[in-house]
Amino acid sequence: MSKRIDIFKKQLEPWLFIAPVVMSLGVWVYLPLIQEFILSFYEWNLLPNSPKEFVGLENYESLIRLPEMRYAIWNTLLYILGIFPMSVLLPLGIALFTQNLGGWSRDIYRTLIFVPMIIAPVVVAILWRWLLNKDHGLMNVWLDVLGFTKIGFLEEKNYALSTLIFITGWKLIGFSTLIFSAANANIDKSYIEAAKMDGASHWQIIYNIRLPLLSPSIFLLSMMTILLGSQWSFIYINILTHGGPLKSTTNIYYLLWEYGFGSLSVGWSAAAGVIAFVGFSFIAYFCMRLMNKRAIYDN
Amino acid sequence: MTINVNKKIDLAERPSSPLDLNLKIKIRSYYNFGIRIVGHLILFTLVIICIFPVYWMLVSSLKDSNAIFDPNIFPQSPTLDNYTYVINQIPIVRMLWNTFFVALVTASLHVLTGLMAGYAFARWSFKFDKVIMSLIAMTWLVPFQVTMIPNYILISKMGLLDTLLGLIIPHMVAPFAVMMLYQAIKAFPKDVIEAARIDGVSDWRLMLEIIAPNLRASLVSLFILAFVTSWNEYFWPLLLNRKIENSVAQIGLQMFMTQEGNQWGALMAASTLVSIPILVIYMFLHRHVVESFMRSGLR
Repeated sequence: MSKRIDIFKKQLEPWLFIAPVVMSLGVWVYLPLIQEFILSFYEWNLLPNSPKEFVGLENYESLIRLPEMRYAIWNTLLYILGIFPMSVLLPLGIALFTQNLGGWSRDIYRTLIFVPMIIAPVVVAILWRWLLNKDHGLMNVWLDVLGFTKIGFLEEKNYALSTLIFITGWKLIGFSTLIFSAANANIDKSYIEAAKMDGASHWQIIYNIRLPLLSPSIFLLSMMTILLGSQWSFIYINILTHGGPLKSTTNIYYLLWEYGFGSLSVGWSAAAGVIAFVGFSFIAYFCMRLMNKRAIYDN
Repeated sequence: MTINVNKKIDLAERPSSPLDLNLKIKIRSYYNFGIRIVGHLILFTLVIICIFPVYWMLVSSLKDSNAIFDPNIFPQSPTLDNYTYVINQIPIVRMLWNTFFVALVTASLHVLTGLMAGYAFARWSFKFDKVIMSLIAMTWLVPFQVTMIPNYILISKMGLLDTLLGLIIPHMVAPFAVMMLYQAIKAFPKDVIEAARIDGVSDWRLMLEIIAPNLRASLVSLFILAFVTSWNEYFWPLLLNRKIENSVAQIGLQMFMTQEGNQWGALMAASTLVSIPILVIYMFLHRHVVESFMRSGLR
């Protein structure tokens, strides 16, 4: 009898150790995901006393018909494409070009270019709101001095999206550069020596040795940009433009937010959430398959 | 280090005549010198781009209202007026304390729950362990905006709207902490654990008294990462907080911006106050911070 209890206790023990994690993620991540899915078939306004009405696929149908949704998806794509140069291409170039710098200067660069990453997004938004202010912001003062007309970076339809993309990218550029630099520094020197002995040029070494060996980092940061890019921009949209002017800076996640807590149409928000989640999950799946197939690991 | 490598290669090339060799070394060293200068220039530009907005925040916060529109990038007659204004206008000290408390508790819970789960996965194999592990690893695919409505409903049902507890509970677990500590504990020498078990040490004590002290570096960097992330958190408190004195610093900042959006000096002073704790941590622990962010990927 007591032996049985012992065995039972042994089996229970791991569960006690993982209980906080499992319960927390269950209650706050996976259960809500299911609830969101269910909510997407209802019409409801978030007030506890008002009734939920089952509407089937109606929420999805209206979303597909709404131009807002198309606009948001298109902008989500633009955000990703816009962030990409600042989160992947430019940092990769910088890391490759500055690989020979060593010593104390490297540490200082490292420490300073990382600062945007640790500054709170709210502070970042406010900083740029001041720097890019139409009348008195430093950027416009300088533009004025150089003889250009002042630009409403956040107020004009033609500039607002690019401005938010830039701010999102600004926060990431140092981080990505450090990721690539670290990966680049980890490349086994003997490959490069061997290639040089065979008479390979600087560019050939970059193209044939460094880039392939950096491919895991390139894939990782690209995937992060694709999957999380529009989430990173979300906070700046919320604080700086509210999706405007004329919906030019909204994206899929901001739409979820507006439907959910702006116009209190929970069903629409949930349906858009399900679409976003399923869409991005598919993309993640393909990215990971591509990564496993194509990335070159140095074993 | 890189210099050594280059020298070795030059020697290894063994050109036909010694004159040729000298010329080649000379050309190469000029070339390398040029590349180095350009590299420094690129990184220096990047540093300015990354640092200047933060510098401008500090400078603007020290300008009085007459000087705020002065584009001079050095402060002329610095004053702390903006800071006293902010402290009189909003309960910033209270909000900073709230933020500190939330960040401290959240970070401690991340480390503790991560350690427990990491230990369990490394120590035992049990039913569904692989499935649970992959579910934990996949949580980053679920965006906050998709689960926010159900989470909000649950928190309001629990009566935790506008409380600090409501900010902490949904974020008490970090999947990344579980994964990282699992890897670390798996790499821990088996015979040490075995010996302790033979001595009859319980798993709980084994984890806390033998494993935890040896993983100090990982635990500290996880703690810092969680603290900074929690300090900078914006959207969850934005949903939950109603009264300014119950809110965290990021929300206070956002409220302050909405109310007095064009009091640039005061706004910069408030932003500085909110950033100082993070910047101080960064000043002392920059290596730790950079490394823990880089290991965690982007969140």
